Amino acid sequence: MKMLSAIWDNLKGLYSLLVGMCITGRYFFQPLKTVHFPRDVVEPENLASYRGPLELARGKTDESKTRCISCQMCAKGCPGNCITVVKSKEGKNPVTWLYDFTLCCLCGACVEVCPTAAIQFSHRLYLVSTSREALVLDLLKDLEERVAAGPLPAAGAGTPDAKKPEARMPDAGGPQKAAGGSAAPDPEG
Amino acid sequence: MELSKISVLSLVELVVACLLVIALMVANAIVMVYAERKGAGFIQRRPGPYEVGPWGILQPVADSMKLLAKQLFVPANVDFLLYFLAPVLAFLPVLLLFLPIPFGPYLTALKVPDGVVLILAFAGFGLLANLLAGYSSNNKYGILGAGRAVAQGVAYEIPMILALLAVVFQTGSMNLSDIAEAQGSAPWRWNFLCQPLAFFIYLVTLVAETNRAPFDLPEGESELTAGFHTEYSGMGFALFFLSEYANMLLVSFVCATFFLGGYKGPILDGFWWTFIKAYAVMAFIVWIRWTFPRVRFDQLLNINWKWLLPLSILNLWITAVIIKLV
Repeated sequence: MKMLSAIWDNLKGLYSLLVGMCITGRYFFQPLKTVHFPRDVVEPENLASYRGPLELARGKTDESKTRCISCQMCAKGCPGNCITVVKSKEGKNPVTWLYDFTLCCLCGACVEVCPTAAIQFSHRLYLVSTSREALVLDLLKDLEERVAAGPLPAAGAGTPDAKKPEARMPDAGGPQKAAGGSAAPDPEG
Repeated sequence: MELSKISVLSLVELVVACLLVIALMVANAIVMVYAERKGAGFIQRRPGPYEVGPWGILQPVADSMKLLAKQLFVPANVDFLLYFLAPVLAFLPVLLLFLPIPFGPYLTALKVPDGVVLILAFAGFGLLANLLAGYSSNNKYGILGAGRAVAQGVAYEIPMILALLAVVFQTGSMNLSDIAEAQGSAPWRWNFLCQPLAFFIYLVTLVAETNRAPFDLPEGESELTAGFHTEYSGMGFALFFLSEYANMLLVSFVCATFFLGGYKGPILDGFWWTFIKAYAVMAFIVWIRWTFPRVRFDQLLNINWKWLLPLSILNLWITAVIIKLV
């Protein structure tokens, strides 16, 4: 009886092998998922779930202002010490908000800990640089530029420091610009 | 006078055949490197090699250039003679094994009456090469890989021989040309239908004999870095690589000859049918490599000793009884 069940188990195992081969055989003929980066770019709808480098969220009442109250919770919670926030003398708002992307591990501790939800992940995929200094991002400046670009941009707008790499990817601005004016709004913005 | 003339002619024929076989082995390796990586890519829904040439078609050329230009690094305390002999020993027997294969009705390098015995006897040399490579390179991964290669190769040779023997019983000849000739042109008259169990056992053992995934325990890169050829770089590695693909091609040709009708096809018999069938078997090997995970070593030996060996003996016995009765 034990032998019979062993034989049956092995036959079932053989069947499972066949199922596996059917799956890979089907995948072989299905279209590819890869994007050839310098020539193609990722579709904007696929960027919505991408968690890129940090950006500052827009204010709830005044869309051109940050929500940040300079409480330093993010700077203390950051495992990589990549956030520098300097409070202004007059009010709660920060005067400097530096974010060193070379040290960031995208763990999201700062996003979790922020009491005013002022920090969010951007959908900026094409952040490339040839120098370390260029990757220390001034997020207040970035927010200003996004405010200047339009009321509700979809993904993170063009990076301030990526002028050289932009030459290598001529289409990089295309989908983002296209998405900026059209339907797909940023779910978090 | 007449005799010496014939022997000189046959010698020339043999040399030409050897050169053609070497050309086939190298061309096969180049094509299969590309085909395998593309196949792996498509199965994982990525393009595979893409940047070198249109659709990455020059990738194997770039790879072989890299291998040629690489430094031959010899680690300390290797067994020098065996270390250099092992890749050669892996490569050369495969050359011999291609000679009795009937590619076409007239396209056979060496018409020997006992081609099956020749192939099965010299196929073991590859195993010896793996053992020597692992032993001589003074590396723990090497010796582990060599031990695995021997345990696996010796085990899987037995059901392989028994499966082929069933076809030999049925045909009544050890000549590969006779075996191909005995099968009909129509696909339903090929041996894989009247010997389904032997065909299945042979398919499993050919994967194990060529050390391919899911039975690539001797190389097992996640546990043994590269197994028996860990310490080989440059052309030493390239020879192992070449012989692995040549071994694959050989077992595919044997499979085509024994079970898939050899050079016979529904229309227009000829060597093209042998090649189509052999490369279909190759595609099958690549397909299962990128489908199944590697088995554990005890599972590998259990499959062989508990299932394949009894089944192949049973199959041989049934074949013998049926031949006796009919």
